[in-house]
Amino acid sequence: MPRYFARKLLIYALTFVLAVTIDWLIPRFMPGDPIANMLARVSVNTNAAQVMHDYYAHVFGLDLPLWRQYLNFWGRLLQGDLGISLYLFPTPVTQVIARALPYDILLLVPAILLSWFAGNRFGALAARNRWLDNVVSPVAYLFTAMPYMWLAILLAWYLGLVLGILPIAGAYAFSLHPAWSAAFGLSLLQHWFLPFLSLFLVGFGGQAIGMRNLIIYELEADYARYLEALGAPQRLVRKHAFGNAMLPQITGLALALGVVVAGALVTEVVFSYPGIGSLLLAAIQRQDYFLIQGCFLFIIIGVLLGNFIVDIAYVVLDPRTRRGMTGEPA
Amino acid sequence: MTPSVPGREFLYFAWRNGKLRFGLALVLFFLGVALLGPLLTHYPPLAYLNPLGAEAPSATYWLGTTCFGQDVYTQFVLGLRAAFLVGLLGGGMATLIGMLIGFMAGYRGGLVDEVLNVLTNVVLVIPTFAVLLIAAAYLQVRSVLMECLFIGLTAWPWAARAIRAQTFSLRTRDFVDLARLSGMRPLKIVFTEIAPNMLSYLVMTFILQFGGAILMAATLDFIGLGPTNAQSLGLMMQTAVLWGALPLGAWWWFIPPGLAITAIVGALYVMNVGLDDVFNPRLRERS
Amino acid sequence: MKSARSLVPATALVLSLGLSACGPDESSPSAANVTAGGQLGPASAPLIFDRRETLYVTGASWGPASSWNPFQPGGLANATGTIGNLYEFLFGYDPQKGELIPWLAEAGTWRDANTYELKLREGLTWSDGQPLTVADVRFTFELGRKYPALWFAPMWSYLTGITAPDDRRLVLTFKDPLYQDFASNLYNLPIVPEHLWRDRSEQEITTGANERPIGSGAYRYLSHAEDRNVWQRNDQWWGIGVFGWPAPKYLVDIRTTGNNVALGLMIRGELDLSNNFLPGVPELVRRGQIKTYSPGPPYMIPADTTVLYLNTRKGPLADSAFRRALAFAIDVPTIVNRAYGGLVVAASSGGLLPSLSRYDDHEVLMRLGYTYDPGRARQLLAAAGYRDRDGDGFVEAPDGARIALEATCPNGWTDWMAAIGVIASSAQAAGIDVRTAAPDYGAWNTALEGGTFDMTLNSAAPLSLTPWTLYSQLFNHPLRAQMQSGNFGRYDSPRIFELVDALARLPAADELGIKVATARIQTLMLTELPMIPLWYNGLWAQWRDSAWTNWPTAAAGTPKTLPTIWSGFWQLGGLQTLINLKPNQ
Repeated sequence: MPRYFARKLLIYALTFVLAVTIDWLIPRFMPGDPIANMLARVSVNTNAAQVMHDYYAHVFGLDLPLWRQYLNFWGRLLQGDLGISLYLFPTPVTQVIARALPYDILLLVPAILLSWFAGNRFGALAARNRWLDNVVSPVAYLFTAMPYMWLAILLAWYLGLVLGILPIAGAYAFSLHPAWSAAFGLSLLQHWFLPFLSLFLVGFGGQAIGMRNLIIYELEADYARYLEALGAPQRLVRKHAFGNAMLPQITGLALALGVVVAGALVTEVVFSYPGIGSLLLAAIQRQDYFLIQGCFLFIIIGVLLGNFIVDIAYVVLDPRTRRGMTGEPA
Repeated sequence: MTPSVPGREFLYFAWRNGKLRFGLALVLFFLGVALLGPLLTHYPPLAYLNPLGAEAPSATYWLGTTCFGQDVYTQFVLGLRAAFLVGLLGGGMATLIGMLIGFMAGYRGGLVDEVLNVLTNVVLVIPTFAVLLIAAAYLQVRSVLMECLFIGLTAWPWAARAIRAQTFSLRTRDFVDLARLSGMRPLKIVFTEIAPNMLSYLVMTFILQFGGAILMAATLDFIGLGPTNAQSLGLMMQTAVLWGALPLGAWWWFIPPGLAITAIVGALYVMNVGLDDVFNPRLRERS
Repeated sequence: MKSARSLVPATALVLSLGLSACGPDESSPSAANVTAGGQLGPASAPLIFDRRETLYVTGASWGPASSWNPFQPGGLANATGTIGNLYEFLFGYDPQKGELIPWLAEAGTWRDANTYELKLREGLTWSDGQPLTVADVRFTFELGRKYPALWFAPMWSYLTGITAPDDRRLVLTFKDPLYQDFASNLYNLPIVPEHLWRDRSEQEITTGANERPIGSGAYRYLSHAEDRNVWQRNDQWWGIGVFGWPAPKYLVDIRTTGNNVALGLMIRGELDLSNNFLPGVPELVRRGQIKTYSPGPPYMIPADTTVLYLNTRKGPLADSAFRRALAFAIDVPTIVNRAYGGLVVAASSGGLLPSLSRYDDHEVLMRLGYTYDPGRARQLLAAAGYRDRDGDGFVEAPDGARIALEATCPNGWTDWMAAIGVIASSAQAAGIDVRTAAPDYGAWNTALEGGTFDMTLNSAAPLSLTPWTLYSQLFNHPLRAQMQSGNFGRYDSPRIFELVDALARLPAADELGIKVATARIQTLMLTELPMIPLWYNGLWAQWRDSAWTNWPTAAAGTPKTLPTIWSGFWQLGGLQTLINLKPNQ
């Protein structure tokens, strides 16, 4: 076992270095000059452009040879320094991310967890209740099949513009100054609700369908039949089926939580909600090398962590997989 | 694992399955519209036809016009074509790559599995639209085919994971052991012994990838990474939103593309459940 | 010194909400009250901004605020108002009247060809209570001499010194001055306080974020978050007695992810003023949901010129006869009426905004100008030897070479994307094979500056004092590998460069001289047509008067100032618009 984990860790370390290197390379493969793009809207005077360009290239260390930039990148990374954002110059990347991340956590973690719980609950119920199946499943299919932004925009339009009962933009009312007050808390909640609801609905559909199908599979599996034939109570059979079906669902949850750091790009765009997703899009469009790298780094860490937890969970929960994973001859 | 069903029996149960019939009918309906619809219009999709701008559906403009006076119907049927193309090529490619990686990783195990796992994780980790932007910057002009290629190259990890897990559980079965003892080459074992035994699974994976590719394309189009030289349902939604179709009352511009995607992808999913019932006789008994 | 927490109270609160219920957050509103010197200012933030005291605006920020450094490149001035509302200029400029407005300076006069004398107003103060003096102005000018990375540094190529003979006057001495450049610096160079900037390093001055800025202007920094910047009126502003009192006590500048979101906010009545390019303006005006400068086309005040740059080093575009034919082929009326729904107006061939039309040479424009005339375009093509040899409907070059051109603009710039669509289809109708492409901004900008495009849209010269602003951009020189500020098509003509340089050396008061120089430039420009001015972009502005009235409109008896919060427009009348507003009671 320790050998197995040591090997796993090594593999993960390798994946990390590889992924980070690719992420460092990707923005640099983008044709175009980030400094030129950053200075493109200087409108007052026309002659200082070249001088300013050189100066800023130097400030960002972009005038160094590529290999130096790469080494500098790792050196700084190990000190927790992700550089300075070009797009939000001169804010450090870590600060940009730290500022936006809370919104994503508040939005995505409840949306993922609640849709997971509710989806699995209804999926499991639908699997054994014909009537519920006929109601829940079509609704669930509808939500997973919808283009997410289409649903989100319809919700924003109907609830925000037609009925006018929910706000359509911002993280809290534009008339409020952040303060420790009920009004502010309520406003945060109001602005959070629509983005949350849209994410929840789509997530719920996917989870419910997944769980329903998995349980039906398990109920029809050999061991379930066998248990039934032995005269085991329905409850026991269902308990086993539910337990087995949960395994892949937990995998999905861990991976979904792993990418929380990536933010919810489309949600943020539709609801003008602050977060990392829209920042990342803006960073890419403006070739903000450092912000792109920083966001990617957190996504990489998140996904690898999620995967790692899944790996461990599998080994702990399902000994059958262990043999293949350690590469023993089958 | 689902036992395989002989051909005639399959067709019999397939026809009896209401979900499959319903899903298939809906998909075929939209496919028909995609194939034949463009023949019924002579308007260029982007031409400024209606001098009055946005107008509700009428005999002249079947699905109304955009705020520029462009014909929504023409854009819609051309967009449907693009959607099917993306599903077929993008989803198909993702399934193929996923099969290749999944079989190899699942059958070989050990180091090969680990290396492929690293690869899968790396692809999973890199935000896909960033890569697309870079590709876009090189190519200047993006086509639907490029979008297919891109989706195919980035959407396979999920399929690979699932297929790897299935292969894992199959490779310890007796018939695989037997084939191995008889000296069959691994590649041959995979394609003659393992793959046929999970054919139904592969078909369903493809259908899921087909629907997933259509949704993915819609998202890419919506955030401004869609094809620059073609029509698509996602682009229609993007332009409709940018030009305020809903607040300005031009619902006929925004609703149809999203509704069509929902219907097609939903029908594909329902079809999948139906197929599941057909492939798996035990499930069939239930319904 | 930099405290992320106190600068982002919103986020800090969100975090603490999620973690634990601790006591009142001490860090939240205090940032605005503490001046850089550590004293408590008089202002304190209320919990809820009173609707009757607050103006909600949007359309100026490209991203979340990150810098309050007034010397930062224009594109980074996301904290709208830093330059203009917080830091002020020696002069403002009234584009409608075409004259400088005394601001920090009471007067400025050329004593002789090489000496300029400025007289500062009395009683100027910084918002921390310190007096604003000639020393601050001199300090600001001298920064440009010390640090070449500051945008106004090139001024020191013709400025030789600045002295203060007494505590009201400044004397600037020049050698071969570029009068026009200097004049535009007078209303674009923000004056910073010496007592707070003196000890800053080069890095801090050129690239520092300048958090908690102290300025002299009508508003002061209150707070900011990812989606907003909030400004509070400076009730001790020196200018209240001179200009008047800006009616809104709070200015909430909202950043949305797109114009469509701004449209939604406008319909919901959450916004007072939107400076976005909103879709469906005619429809919204008709429904009474918004108001604009004029109630019918073009609705907006022309604000800058959209120019089609032609790459004069590429194939047929190197031929002025071909370029001329192209100019006649472009269907500008359709762009104006259909792509823009009548929100813009066709540009004069010389490219100068209506506010500068007194400098146009109308005889030259009549004789050499162009209008949409496909017949004429075909005629010109044929006369220059461009014929369709292979029968594909498109002309080939006189030497038989195929012609296939691409018109571009950045992806997502919806109005321009619609416009290049019209350019391409109308050029095709005249027999020129033009396709469209909308690469992403970065790639587009690279092609623009590197000169690898065929033809592309760009806007030139926002409202300005002088024709020189436009022509120095259109004929930017010397030609370099990377062209960053104009002449993207790399038109190389020593004659016209000389004319533009000569124009730069004319004093602003020399109206006749400027007119003559402009006529010469326009004659050459319209003979050669190295680029094609197409239409004037509007000063996008739409408002509601449910909370605030007395907006500027074209109607008689209303203010005529610019209704905008765009960076670079506060000194062109943006602030006066706020001063004129009245609460709707």
